[in-house]
Amino acid sequence: MSTPDRAEGNDVSTLERTVAVLGAGTMGTGIATVAVRAGHRAIIYDVDEANLSRGVESVRAFLDNGVRLGKLTPEQAQQASARIEASTDLNDLAPAEVVIEAIHEDLGAKQHLFGELDRIVGGQTLFHTNTSTLSVTAIASGSRRPERVVGTHYCNPAPLMKLVEVADGRHTAGWAHDATMEFLAGLGKTSVVTKDRPGFIVNRFLIPWENSCINALEAGLGSKESIDTAVTGALGHPMGPFALLDVVGLDIHQQVATRLYEQLRDPRFYPPPMVDRMVAAGDLGRKTGRGFYTYDDNRLFGS
Amino acid sequence: MADFERVAVLGFGTMGAGIAQVVAMSGREVTVLEAGQDRIEAGSAALAGFLDGGVARGKMTESERDETLARIRSTTEPKELDGCDLVIEAVSERFEVKRELFGAVAAVIGDDALIVTNTSALSVTALAASVPGPGRFAGLHFFNPAPLMRVVEVVRALQTEPEVIERLTEFVVALGKEPVVVKDRPGFLVNYLLMPYLNDVVTELDNELASAEDIDTALRLGLGYKLGPLELLDLIGLDVHEHATQSAYDATLDPRFAPPPLLRQMVAAGYHGDKNGMGFRNRQDGTR
Repeated sequence: MSTPDRAEGNDVSTLERTVAVLGAGTMGTGIATVAVRAGHRAIIYDVDEANLSRGVESVRAFLDNGVRLGKLTPEQAQQASARIEASTDLNDLAPAEVVIEAIHEDLGAKQHLFGELDRIVGGQTLFHTNTSTLSVTAIASGSRRPERVVGTHYCNPAPLMKLVEVADGRHTAGWAHDATMEFLAGLGKTSVVTKDRPGFIVNRFLIPWENSCINALEAGLGSKESIDTAVTGALGHPMGPFALLDVVGLDIHQQVATRLYEQLRDPRFYPPPMVDRMVAAGDLGRKTGRGFYTYDDNRLFGS
Repeated sequence: MADFERVAVLGFGTMGAGIAQVVAMSGREVTVLEAGQDRIEAGSAALAGFLDGGVARGKMTESERDETLARIRSTTEPKELDGCDLVIEAVSERFEVKRELFGAVAAVIGDDALIVTNTSALSVTALAASVPGPGRFAGLHFFNPAPLMRVVEVVRALQTEPEVIERLTEFVVALGKEPVVVKDRPGFLVNYLLMPYLNDVVTELDNELASAEDIDTALRLGLGYKLGPLELLDLIGLDVHEHATQSAYDATLDPRFAPPPLLRQMVAAGYHGDKNGMGFRNRQDGTR
């Protein structure tokens, strides 16, 4: 490569940029909220009109709530709200300098979108993927310029959680990594750098931890209450493993654990049989009113 | 009338001092047995320092501190424990040392006085077998620092009488703590879960998943933990964790408990964590 790194680079740290977010689900709308709050223009893309309008509404609701809580002035919320756009047409993403992919965990769909966007956006546009269980390298291979693809894994809910895990693929260029770190700092996030390995850091350690707690419960080492009490009281975790699994959802835990197991072939990642039984019984956690515990209402934690 | 009016604590190290404080703060008389006067002085100073810190932070009044201190006396003579109805052992994690001490103490206390161990690494059942009347023996596992940590594991040895577990559970509640009754397994409950997780983190650090700082940051911010795993290991002491996880490995031959090579190397190099300023997060030789 003859051009120096910085000349080829994409300075997205300070200026207001156009950010495209692919997918109007929980993570996509959360990330779009973060982007407009940081002063960027955000275009949310989704194939489904109804998803899209729900997504835009949820961004606005989050900003309004920020005003009620005194985190934003009404002017700031209004300006941020004005920076949010939505489209079902990929061609509308042409001005994007950063694309953040947050669609469902389907490798082929993610690869396809990046391949399509190659034709639409500029050559220096960063491609970020918010995948939690797929390989960044595999997703990047959908683009003819895999050097611009970086894994940026946000935590849910994205507007509240400061952590982003950054993972380069095999072909990620130094300029793309550096520009990504600057972009995330501009969003007010705390980035940690990890490798393109299944689960990155948080899920890499959380999944075996949760599985070991489920196995301990099944082995009679304690009750769900005593294990949750022991973990919060002795280790300072904000929630015990079973209260947390009920928030995450047993179906989600099963999916993430299974995907990590399929890649790592390490039995510590495989969801224990109790998880299958709970999913089969429809005891998915808070969202169904019953998981390890029963709930009078199905409000999600923190909402 | 409150159960266990006179309590003996064996050992005036970090755990012994913390347990003595917790018991004295519940209004009970405490006698601490230590081997030498120098160790008694060190333990007393640490305990007084902890209480002074509580006064300085407004957690207790000066008179509460003074009353607590007045309820704690210390001795080097086992016969001074005559009349205690509960003995809490918190000496070093060596089976023979504990066994000999239980023999000396059992000779002076009543046959119906309970004896409990704060061991985290040894089998409570094996220790119970070393005292006359093993049915009165159990584990009472406090976490460090004992005055601050909310949970106490009540460990049921194979020999422990059910009524003993009930009395100890009520005692823990009377101390203002949450009892969790657990089986006598290596690591009991909390460390049984914690040790494989910590070993896994050390292995992945060695495998260059991320820097020690980034692993801690990810788990603190991502999961809301008060401490990241590597900061926690530095706080626990790498030598202490190595000993505990090796003991659990010896007892189970479960590879999740095997001390990972990097942990062994850190200990071999003399990097013991916060206590000597060299650990995963505070290596002072600048190599990490």
